[in-house]
Amino acid sequence: MTLANPPLQSAMYELADALDVNEFYQHNGWTDGLPIVPPTEERVQEYLDAAGLAPGDLIGVESVRQRPITAEKVAINAVMAGCLPTYMPVVVTALRAMCDEDFNLHGSTASTGGSAPFVVVNGPVRTAIGMNATHGVLGTGNRTNATIGRAVRLVLINVLGCIPGQLDRSTLGHPGKFTFCIAEDEEDSPWTPLAQERGVPAGASGITVMASEAPRQVMNEWTHDPEEILETFAAEIRHNMLTYSIWPGNYALVIPKQLRELLVAAGWQKQNIREYIYRAARVFRRDWAKVGKGQLVARGGGPDQEFIALRSPDDLLVIAAGGPAGGFGVVIPPWLGPRSHAVTRTI
Amino acid sequence: MSIRVLDPTAGEVVMTTGLVPGLTSLAGRTVGLLDNRKVNVRQLLDHVEEVLRSRHGVKAVIRLKKPDASRPAPPAVLAAMTECDAIISAVGD
Repeated sequence: MTLANPPLQSAMYELADALDVNEFYQHNGWTDGLPIVPPTEERVQEYLDAAGLAPGDLIGVESVRQRPITAEKVAINAVMAGCLPTYMPVVVTALRAMCDEDFNLHGSTASTGGSAPFVVVNGPVRTAIGMNATHGVLGTGNRTNATIGRAVRLVLINVLGCIPGQLDRSTLGHPGKFTFCIAEDEEDSPWTPLAQERGVPAGASGITVMASEAPRQVMNEWTHDPEEILETFAAEIRHNMLTYSIWPGNYALVIPKQLRELLVAAGWQKQNIREYIYRAARVFRRDWAKVGKGQLVARGGGPDQEFIALRSPDDLLVIAAGGPAGGFGVVIPPWLGPRSHAVTRTI
Repeated sequence: MSIRVLDPTAGEVVMTTGLVPGLTSLAGRTVGLLDNRKVNVRQLLDHVEEVLRSRHGVKAVIRLKKPDASRPAPPAVLAAMTECDAIISAVGD
């Protein structure tokens, strides 16, 4: 016989009110530094029910330290982050994807490189839970985007111990470590959604996670030529290769409407973009001399040794998102090239 | 009226294995040196190996490598470690 509602297992604390709860959790280091919503038993149960999960259900295991992530702990942290119950399937799927060996959860979250999991949501769930894919998509103002990314971070902190100076050895980190979650603007783009390109069935919802460094914004409002537009993105990738990390792996491009429409008008699909960037995002060892790393020029294969940003065109994640005005775009670099792969899962 | 809330952490992880007693001497022992693949680790471990051989009379030194610094040692490397009386896990950088 199974219980309709198996009991929650977490230790319980009794405090005077919500403000005292916040102070208690802050004091214990159980937050990202921002205030939290009190995770009461009733709320946590409601979040589990919304996801169709029992408290002890295993969402995933961080394989290096063998740390299990249970549904109960995810629900507690999702409440704390300010999620609504309906966001739970997205939070859970993102964490499942991050526990895939390909993501290298331990390495990417413990590294001095200071990456954050970038979460991209596709499919009907985006509109059902009110995600933002347009104005200020990488910024503030949308509860769903903000709290899903924050819930993922709180699980890393509280369940896996990714605490700065402890397991999280980031030298700097970046603001995406508070939250780093967007939806793709499928309604205003003719391109195939990211999750669908990566195996999620058409009409289904999916998420993609990538261990990412901070976004690098670019601008080109002086051309209608697709190759010139993409050359600006490629230049930023080349710069990242030289100033940050040379290793090839997943890069993400977020392309807002203004530049996207120029690419679309020229008949360019995401695959054309990937192939262009694959060819253009390359540097030579000698280029390091221009960025203060001249010591590297004579090493390895010598000055004419070529390095690629993408191991194949498929390494590039192209995402349609952002507000309508402005010839801007963003390059999101990988944490450390091939040490972590982007992972996509159906919700 | 008070409010009852739940602990968000996974709590303490209980270790089910204990530590083996430390070695009193390295003489006649087999020592494994685990290369974490960071820059300069090879030079560091070359020096450690020389010290182990010249000053401590070890029987053998086994050089082991992780695939890269951010991933754990694979099963074959862990199996090789069981041949050793002691392991030095290096963090070169």
